[in-house]
Amino acid sequence: MPSALFVILLTLGGAGLYLAMPGGRFHVGRAALIVLLGAAAVLVSLIAPLAGPHEHGLWLALLALVAVVGALRVITHPRPVYSALYFLLVIIAVGGMLVLLDATFLAAALLIIYAGAIMVTYMFVIMLAQKGGGPAPYDRAAREPLIGVATGFVLLAALTGRVLGAGGELGGAPATPEASLSNIVQVGARLLTQYVVGVEITGVLLLVAMVGAITIARRRAVTEQEGEFR
Amino acid sequence: MLAAYLLIGAGLFVLGLIGFVTRRNLIIMFLCTELMFQGIVLNLVAFGRYPLDGHPTLDGQAFGLFLLAVAAAEAALALALIVLLYRYRDTLDPNVWKLLKDE
Repeated sequence: MPSALFVILLTLGGAGLYLAMPGGRFHVGRAALIVLLGAAAVLVSLIAPLAGPHEHGLWLALLALVAVVGALRVITHPRPVYSALYFLLVIIAVGGMLVLLDATFLAAALLIIYAGAIMVTYMFVIMLAQKGGGPAPYDRAAREPLIGVATGFVLLAALTGRVLGAGGELGGAPATPEASLSNIVQVGARLLTQYVVGVEITGVLLLVAMVGAITIARRRAVTEQEGEFR
Repeated sequence: MLAAYLLIGAGLFVLGLIGFVTRRNLIIMFLCTELMFQGIVLNLVAFGRYPLDGHPTLDGQAFGLFLLAVAAAEAALALALIVLLYRYRDTLDPNVWKLLKDE
C-alpha cells in the first residue's frame, strides 16, 4: 500500500474538512465539500481491495462511502436537524457493515434502537430547542476548527499507519461462524451465561437513567432574578 | 479483511472526535459522541469476526449490545439535561456555561 499516497490523501482530507467547517476563516462551502468527497471516494476505493475480491468488497466500499460522507455532513452541516438526518444515514451504513460481518442481530438492534428510539428523541429535542430565522450563531461558526481538525487527522494518521503497517498480520483467514445455530441464539447464550452479571447491571443502569431523566426533566427552571442561579 | 473495517472504524471515530471538539451546539456535540460509538461498535464486531488468533468469538457482538444499552441511557440523560439547560439560558451554546471556569 503506497504510504505517500495515504499521507497526501489524509492531508487533502484534513484541509477539505477545515474548509468545510461552518464559519472557518476560508469558508468556501460547496467547493470544499466536493474536494472532500473526492478525497473520501479515493480513500474508500483504496480500502476496497483490502476487503477481498468478491462482491463483499464492493458492498463494503459502498457502505463505507455512505458512512464517511454521512459523518462528514453530520459535523459540517450548520442545521442540527439535517445533522441528525445524516447521522441516520451513518447508522444505516454501519448496520449494513454489521450484516457483512455476520452480526445480523446486532445490526437489527442497532437500527431499531438508534434509528427508532434515540434519533427520535434527538429530533424532538432539536425541534424543542429551535428558534426561527436560520441557523443560530453558535451553529454558524466552529470553535478552533484548525486545531481540532489537525489534532483529529494526526490521530487518524497514526491509526491508519499502524493498521496498514500490520496489514499482513491482520489479513488472517475469516473465521467461519457455526452454521447450525442462528446468530441470535449464539449471542443470547453468550449474554446469559458468560456476561449475565453485565446484563443485570445494564438493567439497573437503564432504570437509574430513566428515573434520572424524569427527575431532571421535571425540574423547574430557576430564573436568574431569584438570585439562586448564576 | 480486518484492516478495511479497522480503517473505517478509525475514520468514523476521528470524525466524531473532530465534531465534538469543534462544534458549538450541545446537541451536535452529543450526536458526535454517538458517531464515535459507531466506529467502536464496528471495531469490536470486526475483531470478533476476524480474530487475530484464529478462533471466532461472539464477545464483540455482546460488547456491542452493552454499548447500545449504555448509549441509550446516556442519550436519555444527556437530552434531559440539554432541555433543562436550554430552559435556563435559551441557548445551546456551551460557552454560556462557565460556572466552573477560572476567570
